[in-house]
Amino acid sequence: MATRKVRYKKLGVKTPLPILREDQVDPTEYESLTTESQIATGVESVEEKEYHLQEVLQGAGVAVDKEIPVPPPEESTLNYDELYSQRPSEPRTYIRFSQTVEECIGCMYDMTEEDEVFLKAYNQKLAPPATLSEDDFEKIMEVFEDTAYIKTPFASVDQTIVPYDEMLQGLHQLDRSKVMPHAKDIYEHWKERRQAMGNMPLHPTLKFEMHQEKDDMDPYVCFRRREVRQTRKTRARDVQSADKLKRLRKELEEGRQIVLLAHGRELMKLEMLKADQAIFEQRAQLKEHKIRLGIKTDDEDLINVKQPQKRKVPDSSSVQRPPPPLAMRLPVRADGRPSDADLVRLEDRLAEKANELRADIEKKVQNHHEWNRNHVDLTQGPLPPVHGLHGPQPAPSFRPAKTQYLMTPPASASSASLEEPTPMDLDKPQNPRPVFKFRGVSPDEKAMDNPPAYRRRVGRLNRLWIDRRGLASPPREVSAEYSDRWKYDQSSDDEEDTPMYDVDPFDTLALKFRASVPLPPWMTRATGGRQPAQGVLPPNMARPQPALTRPVSQGQPVP
Amino acid sequence: MSPNGTNGEASVGSDGPRLKGKATPETITVGCIAMVVKDGKPRRAEILSIRDTKSGKQFYCNFDNFNKRLDEWVPVARIDFESEVEWPNPDKDKQKDGKAKKTTTVSKKSQPSKKAQKKVAKREQSVASEGQTPHPWTEFVDSQNLKTAKTEDLDDKANASLEIGGTPGVGPDEMELDEDEIPANVAKKERAPSFSREEEIEKLRTSGSMTQNPAEISRIRNISKVEFGRYVLFPWYFSPYPEAFGQEDCIFICEFCLSYFGSLTSFKRHRQKCTLLHPPGNEIYRDEYVSFFEIDGRRQRTWCRNLCLLSKMFLDHKTLYYDVDPFLFYVMTSRDAHGYHLIGYFSKEKESTDGYNVACILTLPQYQRKGYGRLLIQFSYELSKIEGKLGSPEKPLSDLGLLSYRQYWSENIIDLLFGYSEREEKCTIEGIAQALAMTTQDVEHTLQAMKMQVYHKGEHKIVLPEKLIQQREKSRAKQKRLIDAHRIQWKPPVFTASNRTWGW
Repeated sequence: MATRKVRYKKLGVKTPLPILREDQVDPTEYESLTTESQIATGVESVEEKEYHLQEVLQGAGVAVDKEIPVPPPEESTLNYDELYSQRPSEPRTYIRFSQTVEECIGCMYDMTEEDEVFLKAYNQKLAPPATLSEDDFEKIMEVFEDTAYIKTPFASVDQTIVPYDEMLQGLHQLDRSKVMPHAKDIYEHWKERRQAMGNMPLHPTLKFEMHQEKDDMDPYVCFRRREVRQTRKTRARDVQSADKLKRLRKELEEGRQIVLLAHGRELMKLEMLKADQAIFEQRAQLKEHKIRLGIKTDDEDLINVKQPQKRKVPDSSSVQRPPPPLAMRLPVRADGRPSDADLVRLEDRLAEKANELRADIEKKVQNHHEWNRNHVDLTQGPLPPVHGLHGPQPAPSFRPAKTQYLMTPPASASSASLEEPTPMDLDKPQNPRPVFKFRGVSPDEKAMDNPPAYRRRVGRLNRLWIDRRGLASPPREVSAEYSDRWKYDQSSDDEEDTPMYDVDPFDTLALKFRASVPLPPWMTRATGGRQPAQGVLPPNMARPQPALTRPVSQGQPVP
Repeated sequence: MSPNGTNGEASVGSDGPRLKGKATPETITVGCIAMVVKDGKPRRAEILSIRDTKSGKQFYCNFDNFNKRLDEWVPVARIDFESEVEWPNPDKDKQKDGKAKKTTTVSKKSQPSKKAQKKVAKREQSVASEGQTPHPWTEFVDSQNLKTAKTEDLDDKANASLEIGGTPGVGPDEMELDEDEIPANVAKKERAPSFSREEEIEKLRTSGSMTQNPAEISRIRNISKVEFGRYVLFPWYFSPYPEAFGQEDCIFICEFCLSYFGSLTSFKRHRQKCTLLHPPGNEIYRDEYVSFFEIDGRRQRTWCRNLCLLSKMFLDHKTLYYDVDPFLFYVMTSRDAHGYHLIGYFSKEKESTDGYNVACILTLPQYQRKGYGRLLIQFSYELSKIEGKLGSPEKPLSDLGLLSYRQYWSENIIDLLFGYSEREEKCTIEGIAQALAMTTQDVEHTLQAMKMQVYHKGEHKIVLPEKLIQQREKSRAKQKRLIDAHRIQWKPPVFTASNRTWGW
């Protein structure tokens, strides 16, 4: 039977197991499958073999009538209701309770049979009002026991019995009038009983450890303390705690210093006030003398405001100015505002200059804006420059299409060159770059500025939109209308543009310029593509541009 | 194992030959093994103590293969002096000890299999050397601290013989086979090394509440009778109540504060003063039937000590060596007009290094066999569920503990499996463990013990045995009480390191 088991696959805890009912398995097979059984029960191995346990286990978990026999409990013969007479009030909520047993018991001493006999005999000797109640008896006994426990912890070994005098202290805490008449007699009884018990506590107590060798094997010694885990002493820890102590010491020292200094300061203030008062009185006297003697001067020497005079006083006799270090530093500084005031002024000046510079630049930028506000470059398709002005950065959602243009050079080259807003460039030589995106004049760089780009959007109903930008194709398709639509658009928008049209069409400058303007792509295509001409054009463009733009830019600010 | 009491692996004086001879009541001594009448039948019994009473000599007998709770004082009349008794050899005293030590081979957590192989090899040696050293345990006792190869051999032998489960006379070869070829058994057989006293104490210091060392256990019951509430209890085991109580015929324990008294007058006086009506802690569960209280061993030291003393009378392996501070006690009570009566409890380490969710668990004898144990166990697992942990009771289990746990485990696993089988789903051991907050080992052990886990056609499968199906129907008809998890008002208590170390 054993050999088969070697071939078992290991059963992992995550293996999915099919569940069958017993009737789904061949009974004989099942029998043989389940015969192996030695399962760790977790029971002590000696006890595992015990007869009654084995007998139950043989049933293999099937409810058997067999049980492990135990000594049966019995009903108590004591009167339960009398013993447990209290009735609890049933709380609605869950009970929360933290009192300890000691707090719930009251007096820890409970009378024994001997005590009962003694107390009865004792009380018989007394008149009824003077008798000692059981409760008081127990209280007295408790004091004796407690005192004995504290004062003679090894009473059972050295047989010392606490004398009555030492008990008094504890007894005084009780209700004296009730207790004191009886205490001495009870003490004798207590002593007698203690001696009879070998000076052990009258209530049997548990054996706790006494730190003796024999404790360890004594089965009665229980509830030992667990040794407290000591924190390991290492050099690092030593250093750490030394540092901590040092820091603590330093902080305390500083606190002390502050208190001392504050105290000193207050003393000095007091002194100063006294001095002020003295001065005032002196002046009053002086005034009186003056009046009496009829000396007429201005009363300036009576007023405290005089700075230079005041200054002299502390300088000559440093007694009056309370903190000496301050007095030392004062002369060095120029008139209240110390040296760092100069520094501040320098910084201010620098800042001022920088601000001026900035303001200047900003003003110029503003001016430039003003000039160009409604300017439309008529010389080329209006859209690209406008675009470049108002949308300084390409929208981030557009991504440049990085197509390689090698295969289709003509169309792209021409469209790129068309978009150049070159006339404007020369207008603003000191233009800060962030305001206008134009850089340099190099056509190549310009071409890169606005490469074709695409944006993908998902619209309502999940419609997909592809936005294109930087492509020349759209105007191509609507070429006919588009060619003159801009006129109407622009003219209707702004009247300020009109001066531009006043230029004499036959002016040589204008003619020259127009001649330099490359033909729009649709025109070039329509005419069969003038590629060679385009290649030549860009360099030409650079020259006429200033000619055109200058009148425009000059003219605009005027109205 | 045959039900014949005298057969099987004898637990009493089974090691080697002993001197035999006739004895008289006068000459018989402690350590002798005699035939003693128990339940009308003669049974081998070791005499552990002798005392004189007014009615004559009495002998404290531990019966062969009977649990210690059935030990008793017997009068001369019940001992068979006609047949021979076995005398203790001078070195047999030690042997007794040694046997106890030797058997401290708890099948605990499996260790790496490397050790298993090593052990198998070692064991082969030992079988060979068996002839030369017939009783290695006598030496073992003397040198128990040095863990020699011999001690290991010894352990192996103990286990091997255990394995066979009371079929004496099996040759060593067959043992060999058994062990080599059942991987599961090999794994199971790895065990913690036998506990030396120092290790034992260290273990107790850091965790746990169960002694692994049977030598720890006092063998003679000290208290014969206890008045507790409405009941008179007859203790099963030794409990370290004050030594003076050993002389009392009966001791009295207050049902609520669990204080103990040797004198009835004292007890009555105490009852007049005691105001406690329920365990001194917070109620964390209540239904129509029972309430649970949570009690911190550190805050309620006296009460918890009292509880431990009380429960020690019914738990053999519980140890009271160290104090109750590191434990929480979950106390189950029943309510009536008089108050909240203690039914049972389980203790739980505030922080268990071994992942135990129960340290000790006890239903008081007067409430046993009424389904309370199941409630206690269920509650312990409900707490584990709230903690989000898998739990297992601390080992060793007692015989009754094993039965209770097996019943709880098998019932719950079968319930779960029924659900799976009705949905025609497969299940994993881990899935079961998670659903029931049980450890996977416990799940596996239960499946094996219930003979539900089979290896069939190259595949592990679970079979629901017909008997268990019927039993389930039966118990469903009975409508057992259950813990209603929604009524638990409990958060896992948190203890910081300083909390545990210093009590802050």
